[in-house]
Amino acid sequence: MKKKHLLFGLLAASFVTTKALAVSMPADTGKTAAADPPLVLSGSVDTYYKADFSGHSNIPTSFANENNSVSIGMIDLALKKKVGKAAFVGELSFGPRSDQSIPTSGYHIQNLYVSYDVTSAFNLTAGYMSTFIGYEVISPAGNFNYSTSYLFTSGPFQNAGFKATYAFSDKVSLMAGIFNNKWNYYSSLSTNGQTYGDVSTFGAQLMVAPVKGWTAYLNLITGSYSGTEFDLTTAYQITNAFKLGLNAATFSAPNNGGGFSGVALYPQLAVSPVVTFGLRGEYFKVKDNGGDVKALTVTSNIKAGPLTIIPEVRFDTKSDAFGASFTDSNGMATNHASQFLLAAVYAF
Amino acid sequence: MKAALCFAGAAYFCIMKRLTILLLFAMFAVRAFAQKDSLAFDENNKYIYYQVVAQQGTAADSLFSRAVFFFDKGYPQVSLKTTGVTKAADARSINATGSFLVSKKSLVTSHEDGSVSFTMHVDVKEGKYRYWLTDFVFNPYQRDRYNNYVSVPGIYIPLEKPEGKIDKKDLVGYLDGVLLGSRKIGAKLKEFMLKNPPLQKKPEVKKISTKDW
Repeated sequence: MKKKHLLFGLLAASFVTTKALAVSMPADTGKTAAADPPLVLSGSVDTYYKADFSGHSNIPTSFANENNSVSIGMIDLALKKKVGKAAFVGELSFGPRSDQSIPTSGYHIQNLYVSYDVTSAFNLTAGYMSTFIGYEVISPAGNFNYSTSYLFTSGPFQNAGFKATYAFSDKVSLMAGIFNNKWNYYSSLSTNGQTYGDVSTFGAQLMVAPVKGWTAYLNLITGSYSGTEFDLTTAYQITNAFKLGLNAATFSAPNNGGGFSGVALYPQLAVSPVVTFGLRGEYFKVKDNGGDVKALTVTSNIKAGPLTIIPEVRFDTKSDAFGASFTDSNGMATNHASQFLLAAVYAF
Repeated sequence: MKAALCFAGAAYFCIMKRLTILLLFAMFAVRAFAQKDSLAFDENNKYIYYQVVAQQGTAADSLFSRAVFFFDKGYPQVSLKTTGVTKAADARSINATGSFLVSKKSLVTSHEDGSVSFTMHVDVKEGKYRYWLTDFVFNPYQRDRYNNYVSVPGIYIPLEKPEGKIDKKDLVGYLDGVLLGSRKIGAKLKEFMLKNPPLQKKPEVKKISTKDW
């Protein structure tokens, strides 16, 4: 009985304090807040079921690769705090999606960086960060489609380094930075991967917002260790309901080692506050006669508060020369693969 | 011994009961306080936070210069920006635009869900002034790759027209945020209106003649 009262008292107390917190937070208007802003916790969990129509996995893009199985993606937990001009983000992840997105096993870190606003227009950031390249991201809460594109799978996932961003206005900004020679890794690596390398990758991003609702990012990442990629990522919210996204990229591996180029289009239509339909049409080509693949993905996002249900069907068609092997239900080689996927992503 | 334990237990129970009642009272007091003023609809059926403040004995000129000082120094330009000043003797007023960050109610500290932009208007007269905030438009935020919550460009929803665009429960949270943000700005305006802006001293530059020395 005592415990019950104590618990009830504590709950009541926490309700009063959290309620006050929840309603006072929105009123903060940027830099005028007198008290330190709170530590912000956010993240997501995701789970999925996938059925390849051949009866076994075919499509080789990142994540969601387990066929005819109710499987898990990852739990993603992020902490963020900003006091004055200084901020940090620490984002941890656990699960198969996390393991497949991080080359160093056992670290479980997606983002770990500190940043400082030198002025309201000039920011410096250092640490291990999600890459600035590409349209899609590792966190399922940041993507519309649950399966990923060939462009995403082939580009960098993370880059560790130091970058400076200057906003000329709210319509134009420029980022430039130096990053570890090896993409995705927490540290630089020597050519043989046994010792440390150097911080020799250069990256830059020009952001322009030509009209309200339209943003475009022109990205470059280049270095003798990991290669050079040019990338255009843009999205235009044409009306409150219709959005059109585009990603185009070309990559050249070091020492004339081939590369890829491709383009993906992302039209999305919100038919209600809770239901949005979207397509992803992608063309991806491997350089030096490595073949190509076309992929069409039809996805819906159905929202129930913080939960998003994602039904998705996907059809891939490749050329003979394309490296991935597709096989039909009899195990015979084919150039077509298709799958159905149902995912649930809870973001908080 | 057993009786003493029982007595101690009863006292503890009694203290906890009182504590619980006190906390519940505090909780309801917070709610009651929160309801002393609220958003209303104006003649155009737009949400408005409207206040008239009497300040007996203060001339309109003083109130006007204090209001100008508030819009100049009260908040950074990104949060509240003056868009127009009318200096006519019979109609002194100031217009501005600004924005609040809003989030849903949550039992844990959560990220912002979006921002609500607004326009603000202040009129002054002899011994009183009035102000209102209106034209509340919601812009949702989304998570970016660096785990920051950033504006979704191109989606701007007037809070009077949420149908089909904002979930009802979310709207309640956003309107609470708007109300508290409006109160906070109103309280700061009141602070500025109660005292004259500090006089800006012009640095005196001495004149020196180099002819005589």
